[in-house]
Amino acid sequence: MALSPARIGIGGPVGSGKTALIERLIPVFESRNLELAIVTNDLVTREDARRIQRSGLIDPNRVLAVETGACPHTAIREDPTLNIQTADQLVLAYPGIAAVIIESGGDNLASTFSLDLVDYWLFVIDAADGDDIPRKKGPGVVRSDLLIINKTDLAPYVGADLDRMVREGTAVRDGKPVLLTNCATGEGIEAVMDQLVHDVLFA
Amino acid sequence: MPETLTRILGYASDEDKAEQLHHLQHCSAVDQIVLPREDTQRHRLRVHSQTNREYLIALPRDQHLSDGAVLVLESDRAVVVKMAEEQWLRLLPGSLADAVELGYFAGNLHWRVKFHGAELHVALEGPESSYLNRLQPFLDAKRVQCLHG
Repeated sequence: MALSPARIGIGGPVGSGKTALIERLIPVFESRNLELAIVTNDLVTREDARRIQRSGLIDPNRVLAVETGACPHTAIREDPTLNIQTADQLVLAYPGIAAVIIESGGDNLASTFSLDLVDYWLFVIDAADGDDIPRKKGPGVVRSDLLIINKTDLAPYVGADLDRMVREGTAVRDGKPVLLTNCATGEGIEAVMDQLVHDVLFA
Repeated sequence: MPETLTRILGYASDEDKAEQLHHLQHCSAVDQIVLPREDTQRHRLRVHSQTNREYLIALPRDQHLSDGAVLVLESDRAVVVKMAEEQWLRLLPGSLADAVELGYFAGNLHWRVKFHGAELHVALEGPESSYLNRLQPFLDAKRVQCLHG
């Protein structure tokens, strides 16, 4: 029996690499024969949706945009109705999909997803934004199901200690997983996919 | 391979389920999955039961986990969800002004709260210490009292 599609949230600060992570995940979903649809959130544009639609990686009809018009976390936490409706629309149009990924607009470290909207969510931070981010215990860092430290290639240029970020991230998250990625090259993406398969896709 | 549970068959309080569950309980054949309230909102999750069996829960979106949800009911076994008891932090503001400010503060932090007379109760969705750290200025100034018990 086919499982009802999973809903996976991706949140994180502006420029941390949320859209880049999705662009890297799309081919990995495909290589594992898992169909996908995507909802992007932007403040007052459809920039991220257009970027993914034009990427050539996925049927553009499988990507829909939500314009939040206000703080991005309001549409993924306080009142996620718009995102729920948009995800429902995609599931109705593509019943065979394994998952809908819902990308939040870029926000701050306090942003979290409502579990009414998603079954599982990732929080993406940028290694070059400072290696003290994990130990500052932002709710996004602490409460997400999977913490991604992206742009690992930039760490040496800003003196960020990746081992320390992983160690402190794991400590504040009570042992929940922390993974390193470099979405510019694809490094670490298979491990992210393995984690998704284990924790929520069950494929 | 963990067993995948794909639908809620009913609730332990349903008349037709209660009798069978009662019988299975006598045979120690009811496996409980204890979930914190937050996790009952999910439609997909990997869990371990009280007998340490692993299950994959994958429900349709129109079904919602809650206390007593029956996920397996067979002649010789059952799997039932039990919601873990919620922990609350009980706070007593010292004055009306303190109460207004505490309410504003709790809302600003998106804490889930309920009211009980003059007390504000905050649901603990993480370590108590992280809530007390945020409240430290209120507690130090004795504008809010943290009640125990």
